[in-house]
Amino acid sequence: MFPIEHFLYLGAILFSAGLVVIITKKNMIMVLLGVELMLNASNLNLVAFNQLYPENINGQMFALFVIIVAVCEAAVGLAIVIQVYSLHHTSVPGEVDELSD
Amino acid sequence: MNLTSILFYSFEALAALSSIALIFVRNVFHGALLLITGLLALAGIYVLAFAEFVAVTQILVYAGGILVVIIFGIMLTTKLSGKPLLIEHAYRFSGTLAGIGFFALLIFSIVNASFKNLPPPPTRLTEIRTIGVGLMTDFALPFEVAGILLLVALIGAAIIASSTKSNKT
Amino acid sequence: MTLALPLVSFIVSFAISEKYSWLVSFSAPFLLLINTLAAFVVFYWTWNNVPFTAEWTWITFGEQSFTAGILINNTTALMLVVVTLVSFLVNFYSIGYMAGDPDIRRYFAMLGFFTFSMLGIVASSNLLMIFIFWELVGFSSYMLIGHWNQKPEAADAAKRAFILNRVGDAGFVVGLMIVWSHTGSFDILHLSSVAGGAGWQTAASLGIFCGIIGKSAQFPLFTWLPDAMEGPTPVSALIHAATMVAAGVFLLARVHFLFTPVTLNVVAVTGCITALLGALSALAQYDLKKILAYSTVSQLGLMITSLGAGAPEAAMLHLFTHAFFKACLFLAAGSVIHSLHQTQHQSHTTFDVQDIRNLGGLKQKLPYTFLMFVFSGASLAGIPFFSGFLSKDAILTSIFVWKGDVTWKWLILVCSFLVSFITVLYTFRMIWSVFFGNETSTKNLSVVEPPPVMRAPMALLAAASLWIIVSQNPFSFSGWVYNGLASGKHFHLTLVEIFSAAWVLLALLLAYLIRNRPFDAAALRSGFYFNDMYRKVIEIPAFKTASITALTDRKWIDGFLHVGAYVQLIVAHFTGWIDRAIVDGVVDDAAGMAKGIGSFIRSFQSGKIQLYVFWASFAIIIFIIWTLL
Repeated sequence: MFPIEHFLYLGAILFSAGLVVIITKKNMIMVLLGVELMLNASNLNLVAFNQLYPENINGQMFALFVIIVAVCEAAVGLAIVIQVYSLHHTSVPGEVDELSD
Repeated sequence: MNLTSILFYSFEALAALSSIALIFVRNVFHGALLLITGLLALAGIYVLAFAEFVAVTQILVYAGGILVVIIFGIMLTTKLSGKPLLIEHAYRFSGTLAGIGFFALLIFSIVNASFKNLPPPPTRLTEIRTIGVGLMTDFALPFEVAGILLLVALIGAAIIASSTKSNKT
Repeated sequence: MTLALPLVSFIVSFAISEKYSWLVSFSAPFLLLINTLAAFVVFYWTWNNVPFTAEWTWITFGEQSFTAGILINNTTALMLVVVTLVSFLVNFYSIGYMAGDPDIRRYFAMLGFFTFSMLGIVASSNLLMIFIFWELVGFSSYMLIGHWNQKPEAADAAKRAFILNRVGDAGFVVGLMIVWSHTGSFDILHLSSVAGGAGWQTAASLGIFCGIIGKSAQFPLFTWLPDAMEGPTPVSALIHAATMVAAGVFLLARVHFLFTPVTLNVVAVTGCITALLGALSALAQYDLKKILAYSTVSQLGLMITSLGAGAPEAAMLHLFTHAFFKACLFLAAGSVIHSLHQTQHQSHTTFDVQDIRNLGGLKQKLPYTFLMFVFSGASLAGIPFFSGFLSKDAILTSIFVWKGDVTWKWLILVCSFLVSFITVLYTFRMIWSVFFGNETSTKNLSVVEPPPVMRAPMALLAAASLWIIVSQNPFSFSGWVYNGLASGKHFHLTLVEIFSAAWVLLALLLAYLIRNRPFDAAALRSGFYFNDMYRKVIEIPAFKTASITALTDRKWIDGFLHVGAYVQLIVAHFTGWIDRAIVDGVVDDAAGMAKGIGSFIRSFQSGKIQLYVFWASFAIIIFIIWTLL
């Protein structure tokens, strides 16, 4: 009903915003929020392109599975964040740099 | 300018604004709330894109499940000082650079791509039955794998979150 | 053989051990007696015969070879006899004089060595050998003067004698070198045939004369002779009266052909000045031996003057007579000293036995010695009927003939006559103050004559002071000695002879008239202050120069070395800095650059997740831009 570019523009905005949030936030939870944002941007793209091919529901199925995976990843990620917080007592990702040289 | 267009563009504006505001917000809780609004706006857009099941799943799972869990996480990882947790920004320049870079890239590619014309809107919306049948027949493998994935994630998250005491000794 | 015997005596004296040191007193004189007899034999053979020569090659440098040889002509033979006879008599006398001396072995050994060296001078055929023996004589004189080496004055006097001798010998060596460079030979016979008159001969003869000035105590190197009286009296008799100081005169006579008229004038003037100085100084001395020493200086001056006047035979004649009467005078003085020393030991009094003011009226107590003094003193003064008169007459005659009509030569003649006048004065003064008058310090002491072993040599020498030893005619000096020496030069001036005889008697009268007048002149007494002048002018500046050079060495040369060391240190530090800063700096900077690059790249692995994300997205953007667009 609407030109597909509108969907795609929004998707681009969401994705870029999510990237910026990941890179510039100093809180682990915010990073997770950014990740969810990026995933949602990709979901939007999928659903938008599904409109072009109404005979099958591949896009929607894929979007469903993306949501499932996002759920798993969020759960495990939060568990890790909580664990890291209890070890290092900080939720700033920059301070957990034990992998550095 | 009929209602659907206004709805659509307002949903789009809401989603865009919330995500952009998420960049600048300082309070984590506010961030979570902004994300919820964004997700709900996205769900509205899904509906207008003739993907009702995805929209509903989005509301149920994402906004109701994940964000609640995230809010739990926020509560668990802030120091109990009474004040709202304010966070600073780091790597602004690099983040801006990457974000604008990607955005430009995407816009550029979208503008230069030529897409098919939209078909006429369908007369019948997608039934849940179709999705269910598809899950069992065409997408049986991803369905099973997703089930296993969920199981593994559940167990994993439980174990990771609970091994605080037993690992520290 | 005559040469070898004294050397044997020298060795034997050293070889005899200390326990048998009394043996030396016999062995030494005995050997010398044989020596004297041998000398007489030689004399008999060679007198008025062809001169005897013998030569051996001594050392060879490449093609040059130096010979050692013996030349015995009349002069040599005469000297042989004189030297050996006087040496034997002195040895004999020393048996008594030096009895009880702890170093008697060394004494006799050095006496023997000295005789050997003196005979070497006399008999050598070339100048190099003469020079070697010259030095040896100087050395033995040094040893003998400083025999009582516990006395600092003795050691000092010996040192001064040797040094002044050496100063003269420097000129001698220069003369020798000139002779060598012009003729290529030192041999005397060879040199006597060389044509005379060239400039180099003047220089060479002046050089040789320098050595003679040192050895024969001429002006200005005469101060050592009075100081040499610190040695034992027999030593003074042998060396400083009869033989060593006469070596210079002998040498001049030997190489007289080498001396040009210019040099001869210098010689004459030097001799005259010396004679005058010595005579005037002798007049004012209070020390018995010093009077005799200055008298020797004066007589040597007369001999040298006559040599300068071109009459070596007159000088040799005077040397011949002077040896005997001066040796006798010294031995007699020694007997006075010895007797008074014995008296002092017995009576435990102390007074300086050599100071004539302490003596007097010893005629009754020492009659024999008194007689010896009179005989030899008269010969010294030149009283007629004594040998001294004849030889002095010869000298005065030769000067008279030489002077011609030249003014300054007249002056020399006048001075010579003045010297002979003063000679009488001081001789009379000496004898008078010792033997006549009232006894002063010896009034209550018993003084005895010395033992016969000391008296016999004196008697022999006194007898030799009479006229008969020179010629049968008491008024003519052309006796066998003079005729033997002067081949063909006969001149005899009666005028001079009578005048000199009258002159001497006049002097004797004057001396008797002023006999009791004390004569005190500090300038004359100290030898015209020459000694002090030498000390001030030469010794002290020499020490100052030495200390200045030592200071210069310490400050400047060592300072220069220090500065050099500092400079080197600074250079070393600088080089080290360069090495550290620049050379190491290059290496360090290369390593630092590698480190910097490494740490820069390492900063990608910072462990910060968001940076990882950033870099990954950045890379993806770049990749997409690059590949897809």
